[in-house]
Amino acid sequence: MTPMTQQASAATGQMPIGARVHLAHAVVQKLADDRGIDLLHLKGPAVLPGLRAGGRQSSDVDVLVRPSHLHLLVTALESVGFEQRTDFATGSVFAHAANWWHDSWGWVDVHVSWPGVTIDAERAFEVLSRDSVQHPIAHRACPVPGRTAQRLVLVLHAARSGGGTADIEGSWTVADPEERAEVRGLTAELGAEVALAAGIGELELHRGAPTYALWHQFVHGGSRLDEWRARLTAATGARAKAELLTSALRVNRDHLRMELGHPPTRQEVRARQLRRLRRAVDELSRRVGRR
Amino acid sequence: MSRYRIADDVAWVSHEALDAHELPSAYVTRLPHGPPTTLEGPACVVWLALAEGGSSDEIAAAAALMWGIEPDEIRGDVLALVEELVALGLATTG
Repeated sequence: MTPMTQQASAATGQMPIGARVHLAHAVVQKLADDRGIDLLHLKGPAVLPGLRAGGRQSSDVDVLVRPSHLHLLVTALESVGFEQRTDFATGSVFAHAANWWHDSWGWVDVHVSWPGVTIDAERAFEVLSRDSVQHPIAHRACPVPGRTAQRLVLVLHAARSGGGTADIEGSWTVADPEERAEVRGLTAELGAEVALAAGIGELELHRGAPTYALWHQFVHGGSRLDEWRARLTAATGARAKAELLTSALRVNRDHLRMELGHPPTRQEVRARQLRRLRRAVDELSRRVGRR
Repeated sequence: MSRYRIADDVAWVSHEALDAHELPSAYVTRLPHGPPTTLEGPACVVWLALAEGGSSDEIAAAAALMWGIEPDEIRGDVLALVEELVALGLATTG
């Protein structure tokens, strides 16, 4: 080997996380191209120039897949060594995303809907992809939402994550009145008015909405009890409420596995259930003490 | 003389600035199976020259220009590296 060729190495471990995320987006897009899978790349390197403050770096890949193509994407991801680590029921409050892990490419979060969007997920994908553009990531063309949809996606994400000011600043605060009107129009089409309001400080205009408490909890925080009460209020129908209560009592084995670094044993699950129970008791006792 | 370019099924990313105080690096992979490959320092410079496409002489000249040295000093090493990249499927001829 020459000195120059010695500096070309397979060195996954040395790769900065930003580079890994860029390459992982390209991997996912290649899988989609080869199988005719419709998806959109979101956040991180998929954000169009000017919509986000500089210096931000994603640690994982986020994609929104056409819901009816999900099974194709899952097969494709697993064909190249991705392993599913959380499922849609446990991946998030909204049951909208699941996570896959790859030793070379890291995390890929697959979304079938976006938090705050309330219309049918398949229809929502149509709307969000309507004005999509090809955006280069790792020198590969990747479809990303158009500028208006990206503004909305970033605001909703910020609201869900507790009101991240950098995303709000880049996607909403600096938008001119015409751009904001376009975002509001898209928001109405997607039924995401309450979530948008949570992101841009207008949530109090939606006090009567079933999802008001949930978004208030996301933006302003609160105890686990407050979160569950908000989720229960937002769940529509007796069946949805019953399912929510059932899942509230179930330990999230996927998250516990990630936290422990190994599949949890029955004893560990039981210990976690007891911990949750004690936390609930503490919360209740604090609440009683306030009266 | 053969002309070289980056292979069609390759994704790559590099530090945008070839800052003299930082080691330039490119991270390169074949899609979708990988593995990722890191090209550091002079190897990254050659990769950036390869991105423009050309004969090994042209790539050596472009790399030398970026590096600030004479092409003759690196021509042999550049050709060896480019051929290695071809063998890995990261670069192609024609």
